[in-house]
Amino acid sequence: MSTEIAEYHSIRPARRGLLIASKWLVQAAIVMVVAGLVIWLGLAVREALARKGIQFSFGYLGNVANFSLSEGFVLSREGNWPVLELFSPSHSNLQALLAGLWNSLKVALSAIVLCTMFGTLVGIGRLSTNWLVRNLCFGWVEAIRNTPLLIQIVFWYFAVVLRFPPANAASNWFGGLLASRSGVFFPGIAISERASIGSWGLLAITFALVIACVALRGLRLRLILLAAALSVLVATAVVGFPLGLDLPVATRFGARGGFAISPEMTALLIAIVVNSSAYVAEIVRGAIESLPKGQWEASASLGLSRSHTLRDIILPQVFRIVLPSLANRYISLTKDTSLGIAIGFPDLFNVYGTVSNQTGRNLEGVVIVMLTYLALSWIISACVNGLNARVNGRRGR
Amino acid sequence: MSTLALHWVHRNLFAKPFDAALSLVVIPLLAWAVYAFGHWALIDAHWQVVGGSFKVLMAGIYPADQLWRAWFAVAILCAMFGAGLGLSVRPGRAALTVVASLAILIAAGVAAAINPHAGVVTAISAVLGIAAWIGVHHAAVDQRIVLSGLLAGVVAIFVVLSPPGFEVWGGLLLSVVLTIAVSILTLPFGILLALGRQSRVTSLRLISTAYIETMRSVPLILVVYWIWIIVPLLAPDTSVPGLLRGMAGFALFFAAYVAEYVRSGLQAVPRGQIEAARSLAMNTWTLNVEIVLPQALRVVIPSLVGQILDIFNGATLVFIIGLTDFLRAGQMILADPQNSGRTYEIYVFLFAVYLAIGGAITYASRRLEAHLARGSR
Repeated sequence: MSTEIAEYHSIRPARRGLLIASKWLVQAAIVMVVAGLVIWLGLAVREALARKGIQFSFGYLGNVANFSLSEGFVLSREGNWPVLELFSPSHSNLQALLAGLWNSLKVALSAIVLCTMFGTLVGIGRLSTNWLVRNLCFGWVEAIRNTPLLIQIVFWYFAVVLRFPPANAASNWFGGLLASRSGVFFPGIAISERASIGSWGLLAITFALVIACVALRGLRLRLILLAAALSVLVATAVVGFPLGLDLPVATRFGARGGFAISPEMTALLIAIVVNSSAYVAEIVRGAIESLPKGQWEASASLGLSRSHTLRDIILPQVFRIVLPSLANRYISLTKDTSLGIAIGFPDLFNVYGTVSNQTGRNLEGVVIVMLTYLALSWIISACVNGLNARVNGRRGR
Repeated sequence: MSTLALHWVHRNLFAKPFDAALSLVVIPLLAWAVYAFGHWALIDAHWQVVGGSFKVLMAGIYPADQLWRAWFAVAILCAMFGAGLGLSVRPGRAALTVVASLAILIAAGVAAAINPHAGVVTAISAVLGIAAWIGVHHAAVDQRIVLSGLLAGVVAIFVVLSPPGFEVWGGLLLSVVLTIAVSILTLPFGILLALGRQSRVTSLRLISTAYIETMRSVPLILVVYWIWIIVPLLAPDTSVPGLLRGMAGFALFFAAYVAEYVRSGLQAVPRGQIEAARSLAMNTWTLNVEIVLPQALRVVIPSLVGQILDIFNGATLVFIIGLTDFLRAGQMILADPQNSGRTYEIYVFLFAVYLAIGGAITYASRRLEAHLARGSR
């Protein structure tokens, strides 16, 4: 900046006007060239479409989709009430895209949570004092990072998930979890027959007390609130607990009850979690190593154990450092969900492909999908930046 | 000796109660995994499926009577790889020599097992590569000559391979050639974008920033697919081969990432250098070409080499535009009902090859980083 001012003042006044004018001319020329390029592109595309008898418009979004998706919820209207229902061919194209977005988001959000937890563990494992654990974690991270994500997704789908036992012989893990090639079934929560207004009310009071216990400060108050919450919970159980576990029961082609995940989503989720956790592990390891060694030494000289130091001294600081890198990772992870098309998972990109095949409207769809991904990236970075400001803002206090 | 080993085991595996507990859990699991995999790989697996479909995996549907072109390309590739190594790595490093000769022996062995001619060509290619490595290193050939040689090599590969038509390119050959071409294509565009983002001209800065940020926020698969669709609309009279359209998509996408790496390099150039050059009345072009870029690019060479791995891994996405890359070729073989039981054999082979190439690129990137760090001290 200062060099510019110095330059500017070294010029004779008579030439200053010329300089300013030439700068504006350059700007205008660049803008015009780029604008011209964009307009030429738009016109050429429009002409090409016109030759095919297509007009650029978003009207097709309201038309009936006439194709079905294997999964995905849409917001629909029933009377005056918005309801969440499974996508069906009678919904519109726009709702199909929304169902795709729902599917993408459901994988992305679960993967973000899981890969952060798993990745942190592996990252700590890479710094373990146990030689075997350290090198296994290193080998794992390198093997994952040096192979394409797509082959991992395809491998998990064709070589692992589709090799699960068929539904009627599904392996039953931990009493409730069913794994079969028609999907993975988790125990769900269902409303039991014993539910009544009274028991619902008592449960609500319990939740309110727990939230108050977490939110309020003061040890005595918290203890009293906790005791109150426990006693109300006991009272709820006596009256009749309104919620029960809904265990999945294997049938011939799937399972009834519980909470189901399709085989495509299972494979995609596992692949993305495993892949991203390798990157998260590297981020976490780098952050731990970047902390001053004195932190470890000071803790050791205070008699803190290694695990204690890690939990109470190192990790709280690490999460301040890693947030920006994690944000980038989360954005790539969200974009990676678009690879679900390789195994037929109906994510946003896949649904866009189907819609444009059905309607011949590729370009409008690209604009929509591109804007959606842009928005997702912005939302993720805004969330993490907000968190970052909060976490790092506290350091001053 | 045994006391030494015991000491090592004690220090590294059983130093503390927690470590001991971990070891007691991990060692049996690992032993079981190694045993199970070893048993499968050596006894149960039918590796003939890999040998039987080797040509499809390596070159897709490239016509069999034109395969000498593919072999010629492999020889050129090896020479290019050797010349590139010669720039930064001293030949004769014990560990590297052992690994390299092992790799060559395995490659030649596998090739010879499938076809005697293939073994001979592999051996010749390896010799060419090593000769280029030693030659470039010992003759201390100027970097600019080597770089132009590499560029000429890429052009030669395209010239040699193209006569049967771009549609028949496939397999590992397609993945590798696509990666190399895209890595080179992204450089000039990425550098221009990075300079644009740092420019003092506001409109240029805004446009470059918008382009970079947009490309970094959307998935690669979307960009590749979109370019593939839009090119025929823009040029309705000429049919551009799918491979070239795919390459354009990759280049447009990865240029944004190259721009960000280069920008980090530009920021590492001390401000005083630019001010000194300006005070010598250098114009912007000379300043960037002679002073800023040589220093900036030097810093980012390891990242750019690392990016080649991203491109290579991303090359698997060409399935979306109907090209048959290495992974797709493997899936095509599995689609044959005759091979339906050979899923694990094919995938293990694909993983092994991807890991070998990816590991080599990562290793090169780390070596270059160390090499450059040593040079700057």
